[in-house]
Amino acid sequence: MKLIGNLIKGISFFRFIGFYIWKLIQANAFIAYDILTPKLYVNPGFVNLPLRVKSDFSVLLLSNLISMTPGTLSIDIVEERDELLVHYLYGNEEKIVEELEAIQEMVLKLVKYPV
Amino acid sequence: MEIIISILLLSGSFFIFLSALGIIRFKDLYSRMHSTTKASSFGLLLLLVGVSLFFNELNVYVKTILVVVFIYLTAPLAAHAIAKSYREKDKE
Amino acid sequence: MAINNIVLLLSFSFLIVAFILAFVRLLLGQGIYNRIAAMDLIASIVIGFVLVYAVFIQMGLYIDVAVIISLVAFLGTVAVSIYLKNNTNKNDGDNH
Repeated sequence: MKLIGNLIKGISFFRFIGFYIWKLIQANAFIAYDILTPKLYVNPGFVNLPLRVKSDFSVLLLSNLISMTPGTLSIDIVEERDELLVHYLYGNEEKIVEELEAIQEMVLKLVKYPV
Repeated sequence: MEIIISILLLSGSFFIFLSALGIIRFKDLYSRMHSTTKASSFGLLLLLVGVSLFFNELNVYVKTILVVVFIYLTAPLAAHAIAKSYREKDKE
Repeated sequence: MAINNIVLLLSFSFLIVAFILAFVRLLLGQGIYNRIAAMDLIASIVIGFVLVYAVFIQMGLYIDVAVIISLVAFLGTVAVSIYLKNNTNKNDGDNH
């Protein structure tokens, strides 16, 4: 039983690493395109993300990953870990919240199986 | 091999140049923080991989992994510290 | 094995132009927070410079310099921003 848990954890860990690297390349391509072309496409604003992860490590992982994804930067944790304040450069609020929820789902799946 | 190392060195320094261009071009502090966090740490990643492939020794690989993990842990934290302190000041 | 000098020269020139641009932001500023961000970027540029220089003179020992600069730069940035945050709160309390 423990073996199966470790196996699932290992697989989701490698998926997480691959996801991180893919997001990293995407983010840098976005930023490079925006800086190099003469017109700036930015449409900045703030959005509040309700937090479903609770432990220290998972909040660190989530905010780190949000900072590295294209166009979003985690600013602050407000109201005793209830919400995460995120600054975005592109797009509108609904799309950003949808993407961030997908990332949070990934982190939840990763920390679900303790060693 | 030399071609790969050359491409890595050139693109790494180019990404650091891009992040410096971004800090000039963007209009407010938060947008500038996007550029300094992402582009400069990605440029350092490329440069470090190029340097470790050039030397091809065990201790250089170990130090490279150390620096990459440290930079990717701390670059969002530094941006978070600056932005949080700016926001506290802004609220008053 | 040696890297072509033109590649190293181009990398150095990218880094020098980046340094000048970050320094312009440090001078123009618009507030202390932009200056801290520019200092953070300058630390990254110096790390890149040391790395390219290590390839230039072919000494692996220079990676240690990059390790130490990355540690000190992070500590400096966090220390200055936390100091500023506490300082503004204290001044605010004194004024009222």
